[in-house]
Amino acid sequence: MAGRTPTTPAAPDAVLRALADPHRRQILRLVQHTELPAGQIAASFSLTQQAVSQHIGVLKTAGLLSERREGTRRLYALRHESLEPVRELLSEFWPDALGRLKTAVETAHPRPARRP
Amino acid sequence: MTAEIQGDVVVATEHIKAPPEVVFPYFTDPALLVTWIGDRADLDPQPGGLFLLDMGEVVARGAYLVVEPPYRLVFSWGIPGDDTLPPGGSTVEVVLTPDGEDTLIVLTHRGLPPARLGQHRAGWEHQLGRLRPA
Repeated sequence: MAGRTPTTPAAPDAVLRALADPHRRQILRLVQHTELPAGQIAASFSLTQQAVSQHIGVLKTAGLLSERREGTRRLYALRHESLEPVRELLSEFWPDALGRLKTAVETAHPRPARRP
Repeated sequence: MTAEIQGDVVVATEHIKAPPEVVFPYFTDPALLVTWIGDRADLDPQPGGLFLLDMGEVVARGAYLVVEPPYRLVFSWGIPGDDTLPPGGSTVEVVLTPDGEDTLIVLTHRGLPPARLGQHRAGWEHQLGRLRPA
């Protein structure tokens, strides 16, 4: 594992911000199961290499990509464990939704106040 | 309200101060559904009927599988173009149980893919869809 980038866990917010771009999600899909050099990643896009490098930088900072040097090349891969905070967010999706349902129903159908 | 994730299943519960007859249409009437989830809905609440929910950044698409007013319904749920969570790839079961004059809701989302990118993407996009400023 020598040469890998530090694996500090990133906050869910940083991960979500990094994911909030279709190009960056596409990069993650490319390296979901395999390591790829930056050049090969860039070749999959109509973006400039510089733009792709910036996206890779954001993904690295968020902890979503690992980077490994091999000679003059840098190889990137998805760090699957970095998505765990997002999995936790997903677990809040339905509870949050049902909380809004409760508010919507009880606002539209208020119970008459009971007299003592 | 509570939630649990176990494997590929999410269970969420809620208690609502209204009877199931009042709550049930919030899962079948587009105008009522969007008061708590999504921006636009296209619903045909009968077995095999369309369930389509536009949440801004992402559209969930599936079909009603079970419609038993006012106590139970099941619909499939997926994201077109996402091969890890395809339309119809997972199901959401909603059970409404009377609790005096109130309702206890138990929602069970089954068939979520293992911790993979597609699932997470769907999750956070739903979240972002809701978090966007009005």
